Amino acid sequence: MLVPKDNYMYEMIRTELIDAVGQEYVSTSDADKFGHSVDYYWIPEMWHDRGKETPKPDFVVHPGSSEEVSKVMKIANNYKIPVTPWGGGSGSQGGALPVYGGIILDMKRMNKFIGIDKESLTVTCQTGIIARHLEWRCNKEGYSTMHLPASIACATIGGFLAHRGTGVLSTKYGKIEDMVMSLEVVTPTGDIIRTLPVPRHASGPDLTMLFLGSEGTLGVITEVTLKVHPEPEAREFRAYIFKDFHTAMSAGAELMRSRLQPCAVRLYDEEETIHHVRKVFGMELDQGAYLVFGFDGAKDIVECQMRRAREIMEEKYHGKDLGSKGGDLWWENKYKFFYPPYMFHIPQAFGTLDTVATFANIENVYWAMKKVVNENFPEARFIGHFSHWYEWGCMLYARFIFEGDKVPADPAEAAQLYNRVWDMAIRAAIANGGVINEHHGVGLKLGRLMKELYGPAMPVLEGIKKQLDPNNIMNPGKLGFKGV
Amino acid sequence: MNIDKYTDAIKNCRFCFMCRHLSAIGNVTFTEADTPRVRASMIYGVTMHPEKISDRDFIDTLYRSDLSRCCCYHCVNHYDENSLNIAMRTDIVAAGLAPDYIRAIAAELKAADSWDVAGKGDVFYFADPYTTEAGTVQPAFDALMKKAGVAYGVISGGCIGRALKVLGYAAEAKAAAEKFVAAVKAAGAKTLVVSNPAAYELLKNDCAEFGIEVPFTVMHTSEYIISLGLKFNAVGKVYYLESDYLKNYNDNLAYPAELLAALGAERKPFGTNNEESYTCGEGAVVLPKINENLVRKLAEYIADRADDPANDLIVVASPYTKICLSKYTALKVVTLEELAASAL
Repeated sequence: MLVPKDNYMYEMIRTELIDAVGQEYVSTSDADKFGHSVDYYWIPEMWHDRGKETPKPDFVVHPGSSEEVSKVMKIANNYKIPVTPWGGGSGSQGGALPVYGGIILDMKRMNKFIGIDKESLTVTCQTGIIARHLEWRCNKEGYSTMHLPASIACATIGGFLAHRGTGVLSTKYGKIEDMVMSLEVVTPTGDIIRTLPVPRHASGPDLTMLFLGSEGTLGVITEVTLKVHPEPEAREFRAYIFKDFHTAMSAGAELMRSRLQPCAVRLYDEEETIHHVRKVFGMELDQGAYLVFGFDGAKDIVECQMRRAREIMEEKYHGKDLGSKGGDLWWENKYKFFYPPYMFHIPQAFGTLDTVATFANIENVYWAMKKVVNENFPEARFIGHFSHWYEWGCMLYARFIFEGDKVPADPAEAAQLYNRVWDMAIRAAIANGGVINEHHGVGLKLGRLMKELYGPAMPVLEGIKKQLDPNNIMNPGKLGFKGV
Repeated sequence: MNIDKYTDAIKNCRFCFMCRHLSAIGNVTFTEADTPRVRASMIYGVTMHPEKISDRDFIDTLYRSDLSRCCCYHCVNHYDENSLNIAMRTDIVAAGLAPDYIRAIAAELKAADSWDVAGKGDVFYFADPYTTEAGTVQPAFDALMKKAGVAYGVISGGCIGRALKVLGYAAEAKAAAEKFVAAVKAAGAKTLVVSNPAAYELLKNDCAEFGIEVPFTVMHTSEYIISLGLKFNAVGKVYYLESDYLKNYNDNLAYPAELLAALGAERKPFGTNNEESYTCGEGAVVLPKINENLVRKLAEYIADRADDPANDLIVVASPYTKICLSKYTALKVVTLEELAASAL
């Protein structure tokens, strides 16, 4: 915040914000400010855990309409106050942290379900709606967004749009950016704009894609029209154990090249396989890699797809069939391991080094990241699975974990250790054809690597940012853009 | 401190987002502080910096919780942020830090620890303040008893302890519960039937926690009505809103569903799911006295999820929920007793 609280200008700004959204929807309560100062990023959680104060916003504002968002933007521009959009606060990259104070724009009041177009199979909603609530609403009418990530219970649709999120059925239904028809956006200067109503056209560059993944730095996405799908008649899964990771990867890639259109494919590396099959199936394995996949849609088509997929798995790659139960257990437990105590948490230090690459590069990316973590941080454990598969490649969901006794007690030292792991691992990914991230975003955590990733293209992004946000009020210091 | 009994909830809930979609208050205030994760995280802050216990924003946030316990029920491992919250309130009260508005409510409750006894028999019905305020619940129960030909007594009056407990007044809650149990025993009851699920919770669970022996059988009206073996006319299409206490606190007590089946009810799913709390803050017992505006918002949130708000028949287990929904929405709401009496 650029104006101290004991300056009467603070009250002048608060009065203007109240005028914009209503008394009830501007909070300066310590509890609210604390609640918006820690997201799912390890650093602020660790900071709080060590008894340190986390950077707080000055105002928590809950707009109820795009017009109110616009008013807030104009006030913020007038006083050059940072504005940080906040959805569910479940991001793992620090993208929603108010690191420079200012206004937290909590979007959850904009949670209206606007309606389903049953002729076109689309749904329109405001972006503050929690994804689970939207999914339940669609389910009630027999449809699904098919966007089913583990964070569905806590993240808003706006959060997924801002970070290009991915759900467990992405292999068939796509990432969130593949699901979007059109957007309404409030620009940093307060203009309310709409992108074109359809995603496929030859009417100029795609503005929709410009805002997807912009992490609140280029504007506030306030409304979206998404594709929906009828609930499938059948959804079947099957799991296999392969003799090693390379064979399993080859089988998975072959499945994707076959264009059989699985709805989900997931492959666990050998270390994670041993833990996973023990936890889920109670099976003890010394080696091998676990691959699960599924199909959904019309029952007879699913049967045909499954039969052809089994031929690939069994005849060409000699996978050990765990049967449909082996697959169903994965589907039924897909969120379980995000609940405590299964999920990693402090005092452990951990991170999800997710990246994505083509099939030609993905194994090299995996081995390069594993090598750099193992060699430089022998006290850390490196595990990985490949959880989102595309026609051309797949996503690596790698994780590093330090047990609590291996993490420095001093918060600054702990943060330094943490950042070193990220820098080295992500640079290894980029060097081998990977990118900074696949679906968690860049945020505060990885912004410093954006220039390395984009190279000479980074000034193009910076130019767009400067044009849209001349006063740099929108989520400064994130996505590799400059801070305050 | 009382919160030390819930270190597992502090340790786990403060890192977890998996139930935030079920935070009834959070879903109407939209603020992060009104979620189990942030409440647990703030309580963790108190363990590190004890002076934070006196932060008024922190205290107000805790007392704003609806205590529905649906997050605990949903949780894979049932970490109990709900009880952690009540334990923190108890520590706040013990530290002399309860805000004036909480002290005033507690004083009112403590002054209301006396009960009138009317009639006699093996069976007594407890008409708590919400049951009495609802007006039509006790007459419905009476109609059922007359039809069954069962003579019964009525004990009516004020706080039996649950409200004091959730406000953090544990000792006073125990004293009220002891006094009530003694009054019921003195009346000669072998069975006590309660309509209010909060009373059921106190007698079934809180008394055991307080070490109070309950020398009579406690039944929710849904269970007792089934036991009467009455014949009913089919009631048709209804939407049943679960009680926090009967579902989330008592492992989804089966009797309400069994009674609806016995009434020939064609149950329709309300809203979009059966995990959210649609009770207007039943778990917090006295939320209207703490923050009436929140109760109005909770009621409007529920009404907004009705298929046909003007015509749907909404059935609730809790007289409290009926009172709140009737006050703030146009929904047609009846309790289980009223539905059963209408089907005679």
